[in-house]
This record gives sequence, structure tokens and C-alpha cells, in this order.
Amino acid sequence: VKVVATYSIKGGVGKTSTAVNLAYEAARAGVRVLVWDLDPQGAATYLLRVRPKVKGGSRKLVGPKGELAAHIRGSALSPVHVVPADFSLRHLDLHLEGTTVPTERLGELLEPLADHYDLAVLDCPPSISLASESVFGAADVLVVPVVPATLASRTLAQLTEFLADRPDAPRVLPLLSMVDRRRVLHRELVEGLGQDWPDLLRTVVPSAAVVERMGAERAPVAVTAPRSRAAVAYREAWQELAEVLWPTS
Amino acid sequence: VTHFLAHPDLASDRAVAALESCGLVGEEPRPVTRTVLDTFDGRLHAAGLRLELEEGAARELVLRGPPGSPPARLAWEGDAPQRAGDLPAGPFGARVVAAMVERALLPVVEVAAVGRRFVHRDRRGNATVVVVLNGEVTTAAGGPLPDAVAEVHAAPGHERRRDEVVAALAALGTEPGDGDLVDAVVAATGGSLEGHRSSPTVPLERSDDALGAFRAVLANLLTAIEDNLPGTLDDLDPEFLHELRVAVRRTRSVLAEGKGVLPGAVRREYRAGFAELGAATGRTRDLDVYVLGWSDIVASLGLEDASVTEPVVAELERRRVAAHAEMADVLRGEAADRLLARWRAWLEDPGDELRAADAGPIGPHVAFRVARAQAGLLRDGRAITPSSPAEHLHDLRKDAKKLRYLFECFGSLFPAKGRKTFVSQLKALQDNLGEHQDAEVQVAELRLLAQDLHRRRGVGAETLLAVGRLVDHLERVRIREREDFAERFAAYDTAPNHELLERLLEKVGTS
Repeated sequence: VKVVATYSIKGGVGKTSTAVNLAYEAARAGVRVLVWDLDPQGAATYLLRVRPKVKGGSRKLVGPKGELAAHIRGSALSPVHVVPADFSLRHLDLHLEGTTVPTERLGELLEPLADHYDLAVLDCPPSISLASESVFGAADVLVVPVVPATLASRTLAQLTEFLADRPDAPRVLPLLSMVDRRRVLHRELVEGLGQDWPDLLRTVVPSAAVVERMGAERAPVAVTAPRSRAAVAYREAWQELAEVLWPTS
Repeated sequence: VTHFLAHPDLASDRAVAALESCGLVGEEPRPVTRTVLDTFDGRLHAAGLRLELEEGAARELVLRGPPGSPPARLAWEGDAPQRAGDLPAGPFGARVVAAMVERALLPVVEVAAVGRRFVHRDRRGNATVVVVLNGEVTTAAGGPLPDAVAEVHAAPGHERRRDEVVAALAALGTEPGDGDLVDAVVAATGGSLEGHRSSPTVPLERSDDALGAFRAVLANLLTAIEDNLPGTLDDLDPEFLHELRVAVRRTRSVLAEGKGVLPGAVRREYRAGFAELGAATGRTRDLDVYVLGWSDIVASLGLEDASVTEPVVAELERRRVAAHAEMADVLRGEAADRLLARWRAWLEDPGDELRAADAGPIGPHVAFRVARAQAGLLRDGRAITPSSPAEHLHDLRKDAKKLRYLFECFGSLFPAKGRKTFVSQLKALQDNLGEHQDAEVQVAELRLLAQDLHRRRGVGAETLLAVGRLVDHLERVRIREREDFAERFAAYDTAPNHELLERLLEKVGTS
């Protein structure tokens, strides 16, 4: 199973929208997808219309006797399965601490599902913590949504510096999110980021009402507005990501 | 998780009422056709997968399995995929291709029905349990079909509700089973999704009449030839021809071993007939082996630049197609047709006089033939020195095949464990001899091909250099295998191995 985490140190950059839309596009491409919501706010759980309940809390989920299969639920997107989040995940670090190798624990939990899913999408909370380190240990790729702001490049640099010493560090793929091409500053920052970050995905996800409405519709943009620029952008972002995960050449 | 339930009452209002009482809401009925695609020998099924082309509200390829994993769905236009190249890149295609292993996908079962979905949703609007009531079930194979089949699907985490629905349907007197509509139809028609199984071994007792045993073995081999003939003619995948050729070779070998049991005239006629048939297929098989191994060889030499190797690939494919057409003419021809028909007729009825003759029990006969084949193999193998010509190794390969076929075709006469051990030793020797001969044949073919390419305009020096590297690579493989021969043969020609064979023959020879 390939593991992709939508991750950013910053909050409100579009991690969950990215996770849900990419999961949907992956499923449409014939990929068996498991979304694992690691954020105690449970936004991905909410968008996928799953009950926000972790049976036994985060201790049961990631503790030494934890088993991910018992927590998997169906979702509104029928081929996409979900490990939902609830508020107990605020103690995730604490319960990871109680395992033998906390930084490898999330990967360990995913391992038995290797035959059942092709892709696990981890929707992460915005922080750098023990849970994040465990995500870095499990993930093949971090998709990092980046909003066009003056400190965006600095935040990305902090992350890559943090990962630099890890021999098994995941590949970092920044994804421009919430971009308004009408704004000069956004256009300049997009150009600048492209020069600074060669791994930046070519796709630019626009700032769009359809993305904002996901919370109300509780569905990916490809379902509610399949011809919208945002839907096309997520489809193209998925194609770029798929080429990284399963190269054809 | 899927269960099916079959019962005429499932098409009635009682079933609808039962589902509605469980909180499921019905949708409009829709016709659906599901075509299961698998290789001739059921490789996807053996790998725990099921690939279907589903045509209903949408046209999709659906890949199911293993149990517990969600089905992968892919919108699909055009014809059903047949070859690896028809499948999309990514995990969907990769999972199918890994199971196909060079074989083509063929339609195995087609089931049509009119399905009505009943869905239970939770408070958030998510489907938790879906029941599809299938009526008007038909399949091309015909046979006794269930009047109605209910499929019960549950999203993970909703097993309890699923059990309630299954119990409500079971109360109608239905017969439950694991699987879906396709499984229900296959079970009802007595079919199987396992694919075509072909084994050269037929069940025999050591005391069986030798003539009857030979006829049973040869009839089984003829069935293998007949089964693989259509796929060979249609050029579906190289495995059909390979299987057909192996069955032809085994037939010739068993005919030779039938001395003293089968009438001389019959042995002569059919050995000659099958030799001709085998010869007609050799060239195509050689080129198949090339094309199959091409990408591996090219990759191992770092010759990925397609523009350099493309002319070679195109020429090999052109030759393969031409050879196949020539072969197909022979296989479709009157002589081949007559050979197979007459052979089948003789195997079914060799005549009263022959049937009455006592050829003795099969056990001692096979023990004698195996001892003889082993003696020939040891004599020829021990005579080979580093300076022996390649032909001696080719002859030894034939000796080894003769022995192997006896063990395969009359395998049921031997104790299973000892036979397996002995055959694995023999196989190790055969692998060495096979690799050696394949490399030699390929080098010869490539040299001829290089000359042809050189005469043509437009074939660059880079391409000819690439062919040179391939020849060099194959030549090194040939030399390596040649050098390994002495060690491999010594590993076969050991006292414990001889003793093992003696013990086996003692048992087989006692009728």
C-alpha cells in the first residue's frame, strides 16, 4: 500500500479538501483507497459522512494492541473506506508514546492492510509532533498544500529541514492551494515558489466557492461541480501524484 | 462482504416487504450484464481476484478481491481488455497483469439480470447495506438457473445490520451462499470459475491392463491438444501453443514407450503424424520465446532506447506473425484434422481383437521403461566432456525429457513423495540443458536477423550494435550454462539419487 499524507505545519491551507478530493479521484482511477483521518477535528470524517467515533478512543486505535481493520468504515464515496477521527485523537501523541517505536507505529498499523488497499491517504492535523513523525515514518509522499502567502516558502523550508536528517523521509510535493490568479501577489508568489521548489506540483488549485462549499455539500468537488476549475485541478493533481506513486516510465 | 440468497420467492412482493421492514428503500430496476474475464487456466481466480466487465447504469471494469478489500472500479469504454497492454497503468492494471502472467483475458461467464437495488442509509445519508434483487437471470451457458438471486452487500462497520437483512430474507426459505450473483449462477449451473486445468497424469493402478492405461494417458493428452488448439489458432496468447506443443511431445514420447503394448503400425503412423504436427509449430514457438523474453534481455543490457531496438522488435514480430500464419494453415489443414480425428477414434475403440489381447499390467512395463530411459540418460551424460559438440547436449536433453514424461504421464503409479524428489533433481538438470539450447537457438536467429536488417535501408548502426550486444549476452549465457553442465549432471548422477529411483521402481514394478 502506498501512503500519502496531506500535511502542513500551518492550519487552514486545504489539507482536508486535498485529502478528500484526491481520494475520490484515486478511487475513480480504480485505486482502492483508505482515508485515515488523524485530525481530532475530524473534518475528513465529516466530509465523507462517517460517524465521528473511534471505538475505544485513540488508545485502542494506535496502542500496542491496536488493529486498524476494526476501525474501518464505509463512506459516502462507496469505494473509499475511512478510519474516522473523533476528539480522542487529541491524545494521539500520548498513546503513540506508549508503543515500542512510536515513530513507526502508524506504518505498522497500515502494514496488515497492504493486500486490501492500494493507497492510504492520511489527513494530518496541523503541527509538528510525535504523531507527525510517525506520519513521516509511514508516508511515501507528503502532499503539502501551500497557500500563496509571503511566509509559504519559509514554512516549506522548515519542514524539509526537519526531514533532511531522516534516511526514510517521504518525498515532499507542495501543492499550490487557494490561488486567486486575479491577484498580482498570488501570481508572483506562484512563480517564485515554482523556482524555489522543483518538486512543486504543476497543478494549481484555485480559490473557489465550490471548494468552500464542500463543508455544506459533504462531497468532493468532482461530485458537486464536475466541470469546475477546482474539480479539473484536483483531477490533474491526482494524475501527477499517481505518476509519482506508480511511474509509467 | 457479500452474501447471495437464491429462491423464487425473492422475486415476489414478500421479499420487497421483508426488505422494507428492515428500513431498505427500493430503487428502479435496471438491466445489468456482468462478464467475468480470466485467463484460460483461471489465473486471476487462483490469485483470489475476479475481473468483471459490468454493463448497467455505467460501463465499468470491476476488480474484486481479496475478501475484505473494496472492489476497484474503473469506467471503461471499448472492448473488454484482452492483453496486458489493454489495461491501464497504476495498481488496477498492475494487479491484473501480475496474475495474468503473459496470458490473455477471455470471457469466462456472462450473466445478465434485471437488478433492483434496495438501500439502507444511515443518518448521514451513507449506504450501509445494499441488497440487489436480481430477476430474469440468464447466462449464455444455459442450464438450470435460479429464478431470483439476492445479493447482500454491507459497508464495513455495518455487519450487524447486514445480518438482520440476511435473516429477514432467509425467513422466506431462501438458500444462502457466500458470493454474489455470478457465484450463484455458477453454482446453479454446475460450472466453475477455476479455469481449464490440464494435467498429464491420469489415475492408474499398477495392476491395470497396460493397453488400457496407455489409451487413458494418450486420450488425456489428445484432450489437451484439442483444448489448446482454438486458442493457438486464434493467437490469443503464447501459452496455448506452448501447452499444445508439450502435449504433442508427450504423445510422441508415450507412443515410443508403448513398445510391446501398442501395435507397431499404430505407433509408427501416429508418431510420424505427431512429429509432423510438432515440427509445424516449432518456428512459431521459438519466436514466441524471443518476444516474451525480449523486454527482460533488453532491460538487463540497458538498451531501453526504443528507437534503437524497435527495428529488431518489429522484425521479430513480423516473423512471428508470418510463422504463425504458416503454422495455422497446417493446423487447420485436412491432414491435421484427419490425424486428430482418426487418433481419437482409435483411442476410443482399438478393435475387439486388440482389446482381448493381454498386454500385462502397466506397473512393471513403466518400471522397465523408466529404468531404460535412466540408463540411456546416464550413459549419454557421462560421455559428455568439455569438448563434446553441442548436439550431444541436445540429445541428452531429449533423454531427460523422455524420462520426465514417463514420470508425468504415469505419475499416479509412483509414490508421490519420492517421485517429487526425483523429478526435482531431474528438473534442475533439464533447466541447465534448456537454457543452453535456448541461448544457442536465439544466437543463431539473431545472427540471421542482423544480416537481414543490414541489407535493408534505414536500419542504423546503433541497431546493429544493439543486436551485437544481444548476441554477445546470449552467447555468454550459453557458455555459462555449458560450463555449469558438469556440476549439474554430477548433482543428478549421485548414489542417493540412483537408490531413490531403484526404490521407486521396485514399488512401481510390483503389480
